[in-house]
Amino acid sequence: MRSFPFGLAALCLLLLSLITGAYIAAHPTPKKTSTLTMWTFAKPHYEAYSKAVPAFEKANPGVKVDVQLVSYNATTQRLRAAFWADLDVPDLVEVEISAAGSFFRGSEKNIGFLDLTDRIQAENLDKRMVAARFGPYMSRGRIYGLPHDVHPVQLAYRRDIFEKEGVDVKQIETWDDFVRVGQQLTKRQGGQTRYMIELSDTSRDNLEVFLFQRGGGYFDAQGDVIFDNQAAVQAMMQYVPLVAGPDRIGNNLGGGQILTRAVEDGYLLCLLAPDWRTKSFENDIPKMKGKMALMPLPAIERGGPRTSTWGGTMLGITKKCQNPDLAWKFAKFLYLNEQDLAERFSGTNIIPPVRAVWDSPAFTRPSPYWSGQPLGKTYADLAPQVPLQYGSPFVQIAKDKLGQALVACVQRYNTQGKEGFEPFVQEQLKRSADQVRKMMARSPYQ
Amino acid sequence: MTTTTLPKGTQNKVHTPVLSRGERWTRFQQKLAPYLFVSPFLILFSVFGLYPIIKSLILSTYYTDGPKDMVFIGLGNFRFLFADPDFHKAVKNTATFALWSVFLQLPLSLGLALLLTQPWVRGRALWRLAFFSPNLLGQVFVGVLFWVLFTPQYGLINQALHWATNGRFALDTKWLSDPAMVMPAIVITSLWMYVGFNMIYFLAALQSVDKDLYEAATVDGANSWHQFKAVTVPGIKPVITFVLVTSTIGSFQLFELPYNMLNSSAGPNNAGLTVVMYLYNNGFVTGDLGYASAVGWTLALGVLVVSLIQMRLTGSFKGANE
Repeated sequence: MRSFPFGLAALCLLLLSLITGAYIAAHPTPKKTSTLTMWTFAKPHYEAYSKAVPAFEKANPGVKVDVQLVSYNATTQRLRAAFWADLDVPDLVEVEISAAGSFFRGSEKNIGFLDLTDRIQAENLDKRMVAARFGPYMSRGRIYGLPHDVHPVQLAYRRDIFEKEGVDVKQIETWDDFVRVGQQLTKRQGGQTRYMIELSDTSRDNLEVFLFQRGGGYFDAQGDVIFDNQAAVQAMMQYVPLVAGPDRIGNNLGGGQILTRAVEDGYLLCLLAPDWRTKSFENDIPKMKGKMALMPLPAIERGGPRTSTWGGTMLGITKKCQNPDLAWKFAKFLYLNEQDLAERFSGTNIIPPVRAVWDSPAFTRPSPYWSGQPLGKTYADLAPQVPLQYGSPFVQIAKDKLGQALVACVQRYNTQGKEGFEPFVQEQLKRSADQVRKMMARSPYQ
Repeated sequence: MTTTTLPKGTQNKVHTPVLSRGERWTRFQQKLAPYLFVSPFLILFSVFGLYPIIKSLILSTYYTDGPKDMVFIGLGNFRFLFADPDFHKAVKNTATFALWSVFLQLPLSLGLALLLTQPWVRGRALWRLAFFSPNLLGQVFVGVLFWVLFTPQYGLINQALHWATNGRFALDTKWLSDPAMVMPAIVITSLWMYVGFNMIYFLAALQSVDKDLYEAATVDGANSWHQFKAVTVPGIKPVITFVLVTSTIGSFQLFELPYNMLNSSAGPNNAGLTVVMYLYNNGFVTGDLGYASAVGWTLALGVLVVSLIQMRLTGSFKGANE
C-alpha cells in the first residue's frame, strides 16, 4: 500500500480508533469486588463513613464495603432512571429528603427500595430513634428509609455585632421580639447596608422553616395536600413582611462565596442554622471563628416551640441488593452505633436521631467557632421539639407551587402592602394547593 | 410517428430476455446495492430515531410513573397540558425568549458582520475570533459563569452598572431571583453566546454578494442605506431565512442555559421555565414519561408551525417553487 486512499487524517483517525478500541477490549471493566456498595451525596457523610467502614469489615470477615461519593443528581435522577431500566444500582443509597418522595411514585411493587417497616418494628427502631423523622420516608404506611438526622434549626448570629449594638439575645423570645430588634439593626439605605437575617423573597426553603414551626407542612399523614391550611396562611403572613415592603429586615444574596462575603462584611447578621449548616459555616466562613453564636429560633408565641426543621437524609436498601440482611446490618452499624455516632458528630455537627447518643461528651464539648457554646447540646435540647413532616411522591411539585405562591405574595405586598393581604394569601395558597391536588388526581396509584 | 406492433404473445419474450444465473445474480446485486449502502443509516435511524418517535407517540396517550407503571388515558395528557398554567408560562417564556432572539440577536449579528467586513476596521480576524469564541464554551459553563457575574451586591455586572450609573443602579439588584429580571438576564447571556456565532453565517453570506452590484448602485447614486436595503439584504436573504429559522428552533429548545443559571431550577415563580425544561421536569424529575412525551410532540408541532410561518413570510417557498 503506497498511500491511504482517504488521506492522512482519515488514516490517523482509523489508527486512533483501532488503538483505543484494542485498549478498551484489553481492559474490561473490573468485576465488582465489594460485597456491598453504598452511595452518598454528602461529602461529610462520605468522609465519616469511610472512617467507619474498616471496623465493620473487621467485624465481618470476608465483607468488603465500597462507599462512593456521587453527585446529588446521581442519587436522584440517575438512580431513578436506573430503577426504571433495571440497571445495576448500589446496595444502599442515601437520598435527600426532598427527593425521597419521588422514589415512591407508582405501584408499590415497582418502588426500587426495600420495605424496611418490619425490620424497623421488629427491632423497635421507631422507638430508639426520633419517630417524627420516619414520616418523610414513608409511603402508603410503609417505611422505605432509615432517617439519618433530626436537623433542628437555630439562628446563627454575629455575636460581635450584637454585643457592639448592645443587643441581649436572651431578650429575643418570639419573632415579634426578633423583628423589633431587627428594625433597629437593619440598614437599608446609606452607608453600609445590612440586614437582620438571611431570608429569601423567592425561594420557599426558608419559608418552610416557618411553616413547619407552626405545625404546618405540605401533606398530612394521609398524604392529602395541606399547604393551604390556616397554619400555612399564618406562616406566609408572618414571612412575607420580613422580606418585602419598606420595613423588611431580611434579604438573600445567594450561597457559596457570596454568602461568605456577606457574613464577613456584616451584610447579614443572622442566618437560619439547621445543625448541618453550622459545619458549612465553619468551613466556608472560617474568619468568623469566635464571632458567631447560636440562639434558639424565636417562638411564634411566648412558650411555643423554639425550633423547626430544614433538610434531611434517608438511607435505603435497594431491591436489587443481593444480600439485604448484610446491608441492613451495615445500615444499623452506620446509623445506630452509638460510639461512632458521637465521634461522627464532631466531623459533621449533625445530631443523629438516636436519642441515647445526645448525652455523650462530644455533644457538650464547647465549640471555639461558636463562641464556646456546646454546639451539640444546644441542638440536642431542641431535637425533641422538631416538628413532624410527611412525605409524598408529589412533595417536589408541592414545594415548587409554594415557591410560586410566595413570589406572588411578595409582589402583592411590595405593591399594595397589608391592605387585603390575608385574603390574597389564602387565595394564592389555595390555588397552588389545588394545582397539586389536580396533578395527584391524575395518578391511579395514590 | 410510426409504431411497431409485435405479434400477439411475443411482447413479454422481447422485453424479458432469458438471463444466465450469473447475470441474474449480477442484476440482483445491482438492485440490492443502493439499499445496502443506505442500510446502516436506515437501521440506525429505525432503532434510534423512528422507534423512539413512534414509542413516544404511543407513550403520550398513557399516564406513567416511570416506564413500568402505565395506564392508558387517551388524549388525557394533552387535555391536562393545555389547561396547565405552568405550561402556559413555559410557552410564554419560550416565545418571549425566541422573540428577543430574533429581534435582538439577528440584527446584532448582522451589524457585527457588516462592521467586520469594513476595510477600515483593524484586526478584523482577531475581532471575528473574539466575537465567535463564546460559542466555543458549553452552555453549562456559560450558565455558571453568568450566575456568578449576575450576583447581587458583589457581582461584576451589578458593580459595573452601579459605577456607570453613578449609584443609580442598585447594587443588590437580583437578576436571577427577581421574576422580572430573570428573562432579561437569560437574553443577555444568550446574546453574549450566540451573536458571534450567527455573525459567522452573515460574514460568509456578505462575501458572496456580487461586488458589481454595489458599484452599479453607487453609480446610480445610492447611499449606504439604499445599498444595504436594495443589494445586501436581497443578496443574503437565504442566509437570513436560515439564521432566522435555526435561531427560532434553537430558542424553542432552550434548556441548559437557564437551568444552570437558575441553579437547576425554573427560577422564581417559574420565570425561567422553558418548554423543554417543563418537559424535563415532568419526564425525569416527576417521572411521568407519558406526559413528557405529550409535551415533546406539542413542542415539535409548535416548532414546525412557527418555522413554516417564518418560511412563508420570508418567501422561501416562492424560491423553491420557481
